Amino acid sequence: MHEYAFFLGCIAPNRYPGCEASSIKTSEKVGIKLLPLKGASCCPAPGAFGSIDLNVWYAMAARNLCLAEEMKKDIALICNGCYKSIYEVNHILKHNEELRAGVNEVLKEIDMEFKGTIDVFHLAELYYDPKICGLQKIRDSITTPLTGAKIACHYGCHLLKPKKERHFGDTENPMWFEELVEALGAETVQYRNKMQCCGAGGGVRGYDIVHALDITNEKMINIQEAGANAITEVCPFCQLQFDRGQIEIKEKFGDVYNIPVLHYNELLGLAQGMSPQDLALDLHAIDCTPFLQKVL
Amino acid sequence: MAAKSYDNPELNKKLGDRRYHRDQSSAEFSDKILKISRTVANMCYQCGTCTGSCPSAPRSTYRIRLFMRRNVLGLEEEALTDPDLWLCTTCYSCSDRCPRDIAPTDVIMAMRNLAFKRDIVPRNFLQTAQLIYNSGHGVPNNDVNRAARTKLGLTADPPTTHMYPEFLKGIQKILDHYRLKENADRILKGD
Repeated sequence: MHEYAFFLGCIAPNRYPGCEASSIKTSEKVGIKLLPLKGASCCPAPGAFGSIDLNVWYAMAARNLCLAEEMKKDIALICNGCYKSIYEVNHILKHNEELRAGVNEVLKEIDMEFKGTIDVFHLAELYYDPKICGLQKIRDSITTPLTGAKIACHYGCHLLKPKKERHFGDTENPMWFEELVEALGAETVQYRNKMQCCGAGGGVRGYDIVHALDITNEKMINIQEAGANAITEVCPFCQLQFDRGQIEIKEKFGDVYNIPVLHYNELLGLAQGMSPQDLALDLHAIDCTPFLQKVL
Repeated sequence: MAAKSYDNPELNKKLGDRRYHRDQSSAEFSDKILKISRTVANMCYQCGTCTGSCPSAPRSTYRIRLFMRRNVLGLEEEALTDPDLWLCTTCYSCSDRCPRDIAPTDVIMAMRNLAFKRDIVPRNFLQTAQLIYNSGHGVPNNDVNRAARTKLGLTADPPTTHMYPEFLKGIQKILDHYRLKENADRILKGD
């Protein structure tokens, strides 16, 4: 069993608890144990905090990293926004002594010190990594293949980009997420401008919701054109933007899609035999029932 | 002052004037940007790949290339008061494609940091900061969600600062060190 400190973030535990529940249960079936990271906070939101003062962003993310350092566990997380804060600040502070000294001066006030002793992973990359889990183990864990599902994969931005500060390779047309989805017995669809942002990041959702939704709407048009009957992602904030965003798009622009949006861990949960109730899919704004009837 | 809209006719006129006024140029501006962004923005040769990659550009007047030019020319006032500064979704498409290996996204972040020092910042950014100060979460838990969590066999509150509020003190100390809560309260009150 590979053990990790499970960094929850905000939107997964507080808006889509099915993401949290399914992550804990699905990972255990493929040899990954997620342990609670007690006292963790918001990552903090890279758009909001990074824009206001990067120094606060470094220090707040470092506090979360210190909690995992005290546990002597690497961090696993399930949100691209959290990945940007936690992975990137860990990387920056490990390699920039001046910034680390500044952050540690602040952390001293609360008896903490960033030591740089752990690494940070997205659960999706652990699933894909054959040294930890790999596609075959995912396939072997499936009891209910998602036959009939035509899924549009949304990678999101901050997991892969900026690519020179990541390790995922190509960011123009990656295919590894499709491989993970196809391992569940589902079909994936390719759509125009696949790598485009969901529109929510950088504080734009809160600053100018119509602008953010217009970006989302463009993605929805492209996803619908490709004939997808569900969207999957690895970021609860993208999930919120696509899921609740479709309701807001209907109100503001009159366009209706009704394409359900599921986190990869929720899909994996379904394929491993978890019920829609186990995943709290009723909390999703877009009704998942027609999709579930088709694939289960 | 929160980030202003284009309803302000004076600002509108100023931003509409695309001539270069040397008296508005600050030599230190690009140095400050370099220090905060840690990307060599003055290497920009204005090819426009950034704007061409930008999801915000087709639906607004936001042009990342223009902000890159303002950095090189030292047009601090223009860059920091332009409401378009807040339309970057930080998707980093421009940064991945820049042929000069610059991260324009990080230039925008640095400009936003400098704007905040002058109290120019949209309300929602400050509200997120207040929420985190009070609860540790930018998106805090609520009763509907607590009930759903319990049904899933999870704890009603996640094992974060929600379940262990004793950790909030440390968070508040960090934010107070940077006087973030104080400034957020002051700016929001002044609106």
